[in-house]
Amino acid sequence: MTRQGFLDTLRASLRGLPPTSIDEVIADYEAHFAEGLQAGRTEAEISAALGDPARLARELRTEAGLKRWELERNPSAAVGAIFGILGLGAIDILVLLPILLPVAATLLGFSITAVVLFVCGAIVFVLGPFAGLGPYIAALMFGGLSVMAGAVSLGALTSLVAIGFVNALVWFGRLHMRALKPILDSSEVRS
Amino acid sequence: MPEAIQIQLKRGVLDLCVLALLSRNDAYAYDIAAQLAEAIDMGEGTIYPLMRRMQSERLVETYLVESSSGPPRKYYKLTTSGRASLAAQTIEWTAFSKAVNTILGEPQ
Repeated sequence: MTRQGFLDTLRASLRGLPPTSIDEVIADYEAHFAEGLQAGRTEAEISAALGDPARLARELRTEAGLKRWELERNPSAAVGAIFGILGLGAIDILVLLPILLPVAATLLGFSITAVVLFVCGAIVFVLGPFAGLGPYIAALMFGGLSVMAGAVSLGALTSLVAIGFVNALVWFGRLHMRALKPILDSSEVRS
Repeated sequence: MPEAIQIQLKRGVLDLCVLALLSRNDAYAYDIAAQLAEAIDMGEGTIYPLMRRMQSERLVETYLVESSSGPPRKYYKLTTSGRASLAAQTIEWTAFSKAVNTILGEPQ
């Protein structure tokens, strides 16, 4: 493979990462080619020694996904981190699904409950004064408020549990990545 | 030896080797890759994802050095936690290789 072919494949396989990260990675490999050429090797020799750019991109993507999850705790980063690990084959999806699905479904259920409770509380709170029940207005409004507060704490608890869950997955994935990656590599070496 | 075991062994000690090389001298990635490729016959490309991981785990830091020929080189140096990790992994490796050698019955 030529230098350009290697870099093009690498860039294409890294698509989706932030452009600055892609540029940094490409710059690393460009520098590697420059050094190699200076040392008197050919482009084909250098790219053969570097290995398969698509596989390198997969490793780099996973690393980037995990790093992003460490920096920003949001659902899209969590999905990125999990799929990165799965993509590397660090966790077997078939082993994981029976664990992942119920936990994810439970968390989803809790967050939906939190939203619904919040909305109900808000409706009771807002409509309280119009209910025409005289002395019960304050009670209705306070009741609505406390339901909303409960919903907020349920939501917060759910996100804490979700973050912990994804962290555990990432930890598990990292642990297994080291053990499993060589096996993956060797199967690709043979193919 | 089956190929898979050989590759697993190399992969397992790659981190340790890179840390050890950097503990002697700061180095740029091409240099590290060339030294390791020669010594333990690994794919040179794997050094870059590895260096990125070590950087995000704060085991190494980078700085740029002007090069007489071509663009500036990105040098890697060990951080304090990189040195600590090297020390811990060295102990682990020594104990492990001793145990294996004993089982194999080779003189130590």
